[in-house]
Amino acid sequence: MTLVVARDLWREYSQGGVAALAGVSVDIAQGEFVALLGRSGSGKSTLLNLLGGLDRPTRGSITVQGRDLATMSARELSLYRRSTVGFIFQSFNLVPTLPAWENVALPLVFQGIPREQRKRAALEMLDRVGLGARGHHRPSQMSGGEQQRVAIARALANRPQLLLCDEPTGNLDSNTSAQIMALIDDAHKAGAALVMVTHDPELARIHASRTIRMADGRIAEPVEVA
Amino acid sequence: MNLRGMIWLALEGLLRKKGRNFLTTSGVFIGVFALTLIVSLGQGLSHAVTSTVSGTDNLRQVGLTGGFGIELSNDPAEIEIPGEMDEARRERLRRAAVNRRQIRQVAGRRANAIDDKTIAELSKLPHIESIQPVIVERYEMKLNGHDSPATLSYGVDVGRKRYADRVIAGSYFSGPGAPEAIVHEYLLYKWGMLTDGDYTKVIGQTVKLKTIQTELTPEQQAPPMLQEFMRDLSEEERKAMQTLLPKLLKQFGQSSQRRAAEREFTVVGVLREQMPGDPFNVIEDGNAVQADLFLPLETARELFLASAVNVELGYPRALVTVTDAEFAPEVEQTLRDKGYTAFSVASALKQIESVLLMITVSISFLTGIALIVSTLGIVNTMITSVIERTREIGIFKAVGATNAQVMTVFLCESAMIGLVGGLLGLALAALAMIPGDLLAVQLINEKAAIPFDQPVFVLPLWLMIAGPALGTGTAIVAAILPARRAARIDPVKALRHD
Ligand SMILES: Nc1ncnc2c1ncn2[C@@H]1O[C@H](COP(=O)(O)OP(=O)(O)OP(=O)(O)O)[C@@H](O)[C@H]1O
Ligand SMILES: [Mg+2]
Repeated sequence: MTLVVARDLWREYSQGGVAALAGVSVDIAQGEFVALLGRSGSGKSTLLNLLGGLDRPTRGSITVQGRDLATMSARELSLYRRSTVGFIFQSFNLVPTLPAWENVALPLVFQGIPREQRKRAALEMLDRVGLGARGHHRPSQMSGGEQQRVAIARALANRPQLLLCDEPTGNLDSNTSAQIMALIDDAHKAGAALVMVTHDPELARIHASRTIRMADGRIAEPVEVA
Repeated sequence: MNLRGMIWLALEGLLRKKGRNFLTTSGVFIGVFALTLIVSLGQGLSHAVTSTVSGTDNLRQVGLTGGFGIELSNDPAEIEIPGEMDEARRERLRRAAVNRRQIRQVAGRRANAIDDKTIAELSKLPHIESIQPVIVERYEMKLNGHDSPATLSYGVDVGRKRYADRVIAGSYFSGPGAPEAIVHEYLLYKWGMLTDGDYTKVIGQTVKLKTIQTELTPEQQAPPMLQEFMRDLSEEERKAMQTLLPKLLKQFGQSSQRRAAEREFTVVGVLREQMPGDPFNVIEDGNAVQADLFLPLETARELFLASAVNVELGYPRALVTVTDAEFAPEVEQTLRDKGYTAFSVASALKQIESVLLMITVSISFLTGIALIVSTLGIVNTMITSVIERTREIGIFKAVGATNAQVMTVFLCESAMIGLVGGLLGLALAALAMIPGDLLAVQLINEKAAIPFDQPVFVLPLWLMIAGPALGTGTAIVAAILPARRAARIDPVKALRHD
């Protein structure tokens, strides 16, 4: 079953008329693992943000479970991100002043889940990424790999159907990368559809079930649309 | 929406910048502090005035004084000044004539004198329960070998048992017209009588009161019409008239005979000084504060009317009691319309309260400006906070925060600044009231004749809630624009922000 159907997506920036995306169509099936490859500036992050409802296309449609993100209100997009999407970023994007468990619990705050319940769920998620004992440490007290594991735990906290990773291992050495990829694989096996931006074709080959190559805001190779 | 999570995030954000946020709080703190103090002062003063005056008959009493020659015109044009002179002098003389005419009129019988006849008439007016003369007179007094040339006496309403609680030796009057007197402890003190034994010695003795002789001129004894006639006579004619007058008055039955009234009373008790806590009716008892001798009102009245001058001029004052406090201002106005001078505590109280309210409101308005200035500080702090937390806002949005939730976090942050400032302001205002009260009571007692022991600051529950609520509300309003700005931040840009 397809989870996401994106058709003829354009994303233009008013300044200088740059088209970060110029007519991208892509389908993502439930439980699929898609790798996004391409040169810097080819539009990978832009596409990821559109799929995750963080940004809106200038033209085109992104249908997720029968609803078009392009026509949703800001509030509906927030609720979509809250219920369906998990983000993992290259730069981790943790709140530096909050301890690990509270970073993990952040999505649950906005769902209105009571603190005790949040804490229990967050510590359980941290346990799953191997940081059960580090719940009260702040990001500054952790290595890059550990921080990214906290970020993964946070992305999984709301049990998303769509996990969007923008170069999740871009800042990490190969050893640490392997640990992170193992966790991402786990999430995939647990049933989430995955879109991962990477510069490493090898990584894509090993982990992804399909690879999409982008160039100048378009999909460079013909892709079979399911 | 679950607010607690948002409040928690706001609190966490606040605690990150304690110093800065504390400074921002101080604006609200000063505003609420000043406002609470001022409104409490207004409340306290208004309360002090009201409670000094209510609970007794104050609000039902209207003081009445005879009016002054109101039929006399003040219009200088009515008086002709003939003769050769320049207009400036004519105008000056016209003025002089008017002033002299007025003064002469006042020296005679008052145009609206209060006597038993007018009292009977005025008593028929609506809403009036009673009208009784106020009798405050000086007499030559002889008691126990002591001699006093001008003792002030006061007629006490025995029917209402007035001052009965203040009798510290002997007993109260046996009836409204009893030939009895009560002396003030101060008079005995002046005579060197201090002990209880001295007091007992005085009781049962006879006090002799004698009218102080003030001669009425024959002209003053003449009927008003004749007085009017004499006013316009020439110097010579008047002299001739003055020699004739006593004969005329005798012939036509006008009493030119001046009899000095003299009475004897039995001293039945000793009265102590008025103290805070004693019932005090401003109008009624205001006349008695200097009195050394007290007589039953009827007795005092009889003695008063025994003097021909008094019969002629009438009572200087009367006490009007209305059936209900709400009618006091109305009755006061009716009496004024009739040409009397009338004064009621009820309407004075209204005036005092409206002045107090005006002062309170206008000073509150000034301190309100402090609060408004503090909002500028809050706006500044909140904008800084939003900018500093841009990336965080991006994260909030990425994990599913709605714009409203982001806004709520910042509104809560500001509300807490306001609440803390407001509570601190309230607490410090409440603390400041303790020495403030002591100081104010001391200052008032140094200046005021009537002892004062009321709190000057009153902090009612509504103000305890309103102060911090106002601080919080102000802070929330100040944060609306910054919070909206936070809510509108583009998450994609924010996540790239550093
Ligand atoms: N806010 C913006 N305004 C103007 N142009 C933008 C903006 N954001 C992105 N772009 C442009 O859009 C294009 C695509 O950017 P995008 O970030 O998607 O590239 P990318 O493939 O993720 O690159 P990288 O591998 O370096 O992360 C780039 O040319 C970039 O300059
Ligand atoms: Mg990118």
